[in-house]
Amino acid sequence: MPKLLIDVIDDVGNCLLFVREVMFTALTSPCSFASICEQIWTVTLQSLPTTALAGFFVGAIMTVQFTLQITTFGALGYLGGLSTSGTVREVGPLLIAFLLSGKVGAFTSAELGTMQVTEQIDAIRCLGANPIQEIILPRYLGIIISSFFLLAVGLVMSIFGGMLLGLVFSGINPEEYVRHIPTIVNKFSVANGMFKCLVFAFLLASICTYKGYSARGGAKGVGRAVVSTAVLTMVGIVVFDWLTSLITDTAMNVVLGNS
Amino acid sequence: MIDFKNIRKSFGEREVLKGITFSVPEGQILFILGTSGTGKSVLLKTIVGLLKPSSGEVFINDREISCLSEREMFPVRRMCGMVFQQPALFDSLSIFENVAFGLRKHQPELDHAQLSARVKECLALVNLSGIEDKLPQAISYGMQKRVSLARTVAVSPRILLFDEPTTGLDPVTTNSINHLILELSRKLKTTSLVVSHDMQCALDIADHILVLDKGEIVAQGPPQTLKQSTHPLVQDFLREALNAETAH
Ligand SMILES: Nc1ncnc2c1ncn2[C@@H]1O[C@H](COP(=O)(O)OP(=O)(O)OP(=O)(O)O)[C@@H](O)[C@H]1O
Ligand SMILES: [Mg+2]
Repeated sequence: MPKLLIDVIDDVGNCLLFVREVMFTALTSPCSFASICEQIWTVTLQSLPTTALAGFFVGAIMTVQFTLQITTFGALGYLGGLSTSGTVREVGPLLIAFLLSGKVGAFTSAELGTMQVTEQIDAIRCLGANPIQEIILPRYLGIIISSFFLLAVGLVMSIFGGMLLGLVFSGINPEEYVRHIPTIVNKFSVANGMFKCLVFAFLLASICTYKGYSARGGAKGVGRAVVSTAVLTMVGIVVFDWLTSLITDTAMNVVLGNS
Repeated sequence: MIDFKNIRKSFGEREVLKGITFSVPEGQILFILGTSGTGKSVLLKTIVGLLKPSSGEVFINDREISCLSEREMFPVRRMCGMVFQQPALFDSLSIFENVAFGLRKHQPELDHAQLSARVKECLALVNLSGIEDKLPQAISYGMQKRVSLARTVAVSPRILLFDEPTTGLDPVTTNSINHLILELSRKLKTTSLVVSHDMQCALDIADHILVLDKGEIVAQGPPQTLKQSTHPLVQDFLREALNAETAH
């Protein structure tokens, strides 16, 4: 048991050192703008349809769930506001981050892991180039920027999904659905959702590039890297979800208390 | 000039290199022979700092490099070129971009025409042409190995490290690659370290031969001296070379 604990601490420490190295490289010898754009393009294109679809159904689920409970209180008018608030603040970022971890995370760690075990990364080092600058940094920034963007698209789609399901399932017309959204969803909710998106994007980018880059030992090693990326990002996302909730709640209390 | 002083390297409990000492003067060709798994690849990787020795010192031009950090290694690595045992081509880049990769880093001042001329020239050195636009997956293993050779030679390193450059290639290409190594060393004064199983070729072009067994040097010297060696492993290698010669 202590051995396992030591391994975990070791891994987290190495991951933090890796992230520090990436940040340091970003500041001292940044990669080309074109290579970042290329990565943003790849990641976004790869995941846009899935994220949009998932977002749509997240909104739909929220609406269905809330309808059952709200009708008992005869407050169907608040359906739109409530389900959008729930989606924007919590469920949207969480579920979409899960989805991206399966897609972008697995893809990136498998790609980098393969480059590592087939000595492509050593070849870059031998040609006098810095692999962090050449291949990690563009992916890292690309994943953060496009994950953030994808999460935002997912949120918009979920509002749309909720609206449509509200119309079909609960018979609320869209105009009524959106009417109470501004009452319940305020700028803090949106800021909260965006903050979570950003944190999850950082987490995902850090874990999948680190795991891929540190893969060793042939095809098996790549397999292990992908599995631990999936597990770690999921666990990490849940833990950080709780942490960010704590932070934003405290922050909101302070802001509201002062004004 | 490369100096190895009592290099040891362990992976966990297992000691792979057990105190290796030798030196290679500038412009010379050193062949490293040995059976599979004796640590030849590990030895080459310690020179470019891809692996750190557990103890001992590596000097390149009288500079100790085994204690340098990854960052400090970048300029050192620009002097060295390494051809890996696997082709290790960048599989998302075309053959042209693969060969051009190092050139873009080392000589950013080259314009597109110069770059493309140099890439063509290097591919021609390894008997390849007309495959610049292909992806690595689309060419055979032997061709990939030759492209990886071209990629390394392209940046004109002062020190060349070859990890079994001709294993798995046909005799014609093997010959021309051995010829290329000889020519680079004679014309450009490049120092070359070649890991190989081919004793015949070592006797032909090496200035110095090193025979490794289980992480230790069992015999070394110029080809003439080595031919007199009585060590059983060296004898085996020599017999193999002799057989190949009589078969011709
Ligand atoms: N990164 C590593 N981690 C653990 N063990 C390693 C590592 N690299 C090499 N070894 C071990 O070191 C030993 C020597 O490996 P090396 O690749 O140098 O052999 P080699 O002499 O190049 O053999 P071959 O002719 O088959 O290429 C092997 O037994 C291998 O198991
Ligand atoms: Mg080897």
